[in-house]
Amino acid sequence: MNENPAPAADTTPAAVVEPETPKQLGDIERAFVQKWHENATGCFSSGHKFCREVCPVMQVTRNENHTPTAFHANVIALEKGHLDVEDVADDYVHCTQCGGCEVRCPNTLMVGDFYRARTETVKVVRAMRAMLVDKGLDREKWKVWNRLTDELKNEPVLGIEAGQPNGQAHVRDWAEGLGIPIGGETIMFVDCEAAYYRTSLPRATAQILHKAGVEFGLMNEQWCCGGPAVEMGYVEQSMRFARHNVDDWRRSGVKRIIAIEPHDYVHFTEDYPSYFGDEFDFEVVQIIELVAELIRGGRLELVKPINRVVTYHDPCRLNKRKGIHQAPREILRAIPGLTFSDVDRVTQWSYCSGGGGGLPLEKPELTAEISRRRLEKASELEVDMLVSACVWSERPLSAAGQDAGIEVRDIIELVAESAGIEIGGRTGA
Amino acid sequence: MTAISIPDKVIDRLQEILGEDGAVLTDKASRFNRARVPAPFPVHRWDEFVPDVVVLPRTTEHVSRIVKLANECKVPVVPRAGGTGLADGAVPMRGGILVDVKRMDQIKETDLVNNTVTVGPGINLQTLNRSLKPHGVIYPDDPASYACALVGGRIGTSGLSLLGSRYGHTRDLVISFEIVLPTGEVIEVGEGGGRKIRKSSTGFHLKQLFMGHQGTLGIVTEATLELVPRAETEFAAFFRFEDYHTAYRTFAKIAKSGLATLAGAMLFDPEKVAFLRRDDEAYIVQPEWVKAVCAAALMGTRAEVEPASKIVMELGRGLGGKYIGDEIAAGDWAARHDRYANPLHGRDGAGKVIPMSWHCEDAAIPYSEVPEVLRKWHEIARRYIERYDIFDDWGAFAYTNGGHKPWGDLLLEIDMGLWEDRMDEESWQTFVSLKREIAQVAIDHGGSMSACHGATRAGDAELVPTEMGASWEVIKTIKRALDPNNIMNPGKQSLDQAYQDEGAR
Repeated sequence: MNENPAPAADTTPAAVVEPETPKQLGDIERAFVQKWHENATGCFSSGHKFCREVCPVMQVTRNENHTPTAFHANVIALEKGHLDVEDVADDYVHCTQCGGCEVRCPNTLMVGDFYRARTETVKVVRAMRAMLVDKGLDREKWKVWNRLTDELKNEPVLGIEAGQPNGQAHVRDWAEGLGIPIGGETIMFVDCEAAYYRTSLPRATAQILHKAGVEFGLMNEQWCCGGPAVEMGYVEQSMRFARHNVDDWRRSGVKRIIAIEPHDYVHFTEDYPSYFGDEFDFEVVQIIELVAELIRGGRLELVKPINRVVTYHDPCRLNKRKGIHQAPREILRAIPGLTFSDVDRVTQWSYCSGGGGGLPLEKPELTAEISRRRLEKASELEVDMLVSACVWSERPLSAAGQDAGIEVRDIIELVAESAGIEIGGRTGA
Repeated sequence: MTAISIPDKVIDRLQEILGEDGAVLTDKASRFNRARVPAPFPVHRWDEFVPDVVVLPRTTEHVSRIVKLANECKVPVVPRAGGTGLADGAVPMRGGILVDVKRMDQIKETDLVNNTVTVGPGINLQTLNRSLKPHGVIYPDDPASYACALVGGRIGTSGLSLLGSRYGHTRDLVISFEIVLPTGEVIEVGEGGGRKIRKSSTGFHLKQLFMGHQGTLGIVTEATLELVPRAETEFAAFFRFEDYHTAYRTFAKIAKSGLATLAGAMLFDPEKVAFLRRDDEAYIVQPEWVKAVCAAALMGTRAEVEPASKIVMELGRGLGGKYIGDEIAAGDWAARHDRYANPLHGRDGAGKVIPMSWHCEDAAIPYSEVPEVLRKWHEIARRYIERYDIFDDWGAFAYTNGGHKPWGDLLLEIDMGLWEDRMDEESWQTFVSLKREIAQVAIDHGGSMSACHGATRAGDAELVPTEMGASWEVIKTIKRALDPNNIMNPGKQSLDQAYQDEGAR
């Protein structure tokens, strides 16, 4: 051994090193890399990729460009002048903003526990998409979707062809015959997918609240929450819609908003406060937590057995983004007749429907495959129903469920049924 | 390197071979995102390590045809699985075709009669084990990167498992594998016989030749892996010590205990404890007298582990160790994978907090040499820290190294903080020189400079001939014979010497 001498150690003293100045960056890019440099460095310099196998998109594409790690590395590459925004535009479409990467990141898990810090990946994706909009590089289908939303004031979830009901004239169609007042201290915010597409959900919710004696009204003029717009990068539009809704709440003396949909809950508790600061002093209640409380307090009795074998799909925005995972399980265990085969919430960090973050608009084939895989997991449990708590997940999951022979239902619809309510409405177009 | 330097016709033929949209990637984002691994990286030279084209094959036939094409056109080929290695095995040194095997992630056969599972190289260890769970079996290859490491990379680096003392390491747990040679032929290597045979005396045993090949001898396209019964229970104990030497002696007592359920034993030196105390956000406060830690973990049936745990407690306390408590012991052991990525900062000489990335040396050192190697390593670290404000000493830990044989050599790892954000060529070369000095000490003490990451980085790579000694000639002959055109991951481990010698003969 040791026959070949090692080269002599290099003892040249290191020069004083100045940080590299970003080269040839426009104002928009410079602001972006300055804002996200530190967050990106936290990932880039460790680069361990625990996020990769959790990511629902990456599980399907197996393309490293679509990993959260790449989303952060690109920030450094932009800064160093290696990549332009155009080079990565399509990569950032590959994200449902589920937040699985953030909770799985060791930097979040180990450091965040102590400092409540979190590796911000969802915000980076949104910021990049906003930059694409600013630079006129936004994706075609998103552009059309948001233009229509801007015109209609609701997302065109039923399409615009053949006189589909859209706009303010139809925003409360779902509530027909339920006698819900307009205004009041508490209002129920009904997102577009529920108001126009799966109307069984708001009907079930409203009737549960009536039965439990919870007073609430509807908005004078409800526009889209603006959440999907900001998820796709249309920040100005999102803020304009938010402004309208907040003004509407003020006019009616609203103090409390019941969010019946997880995406709305994220927007009302994160985006709206960031838009309006202290002005935003509304209480935001998530419906699942409220219903669990009503059942627990004996205000809502579940009497009718539902003799089905079910598993629960943790909606990403409840479980991964907001940490709401106990209440839905508590509700399912309270429904008589139900056999509940649970999969723990941490395992479900890697599950998703693919329905969020604008993915179904630009990459419908990925959404379909993500949902197919989710139903495949449910099939392994030999259940006959998959229960979700996010209306946006239920469309792609139901489509996959038809092929898998598994029914997909919303947890609130099951609660209503078990409470003896005739729900009405429809579960699809 | 940013401009694509291989001919269009090669790209066209790759398209023809793969026949799928999005499987041949020539865009800059695809290439820049496959230039690095988690190890410290010369960011200022990023574009030097960018491949010309990235391919995402799905089958062995795809890989074979890609490699044949590369060999015919004399274009470099670099295989990449997870890209989570801590050396540069998956980093392209000379552009070429990067073969990213992540789409080869199928479970092809689960054989519960012969206790094997056959998979593609792109499957992740945790994902695999989740799917095996209903069967009561596990593939117990357990690196710190368990949540992101892929089977192909584990074979490529001959990885170390944290449970190696009980179940063996990758080299023991992979029964056989299929590999595409640098000329495109597909062969099966194992212990001999069919792909599910664990022991044979026929012919040469090629499995270990290709194990840890670092992408320089081919591309693994399928592997048949060991399935073991899931442990019924596990037990972890951490003991605190007033001095390193007592902890070190306790480690030996545990390692030599003969307990078959010993999954691993671990040792933290005073510099490590001081660093955790100083800068680890997840550190649970320990009294000042704690200067070293020795830990052990057991896995197996209750009938074995419960009585063995009593022996471990006696051995751990025998020389004066103080048990750390159930909650911390179980919690720290359970968090062993997540600790891999921490922390993200260190200190400069004046004690100022600096964002730093983590660099670790992973030498294999005989037990007897550990104190002296550590003394020299920390001395080297001190010298560099005094001179350059980009380094920090994050201490050392040791781990049982031999598969099923915990009593001999150790994985000895010194962790260094490195201020990557401030890297220029001069400071990068200083880092390389630091690495080289550390590696040389390992070799001088009869060790190996890399127990598990691979000697593929600058600083290590040039010492491979030194460590190999007279066998280096055999290695060069093998490399030349299998890869006549030096297309497989060229520039790694000084293997270019295999070709430089040709003219001289």
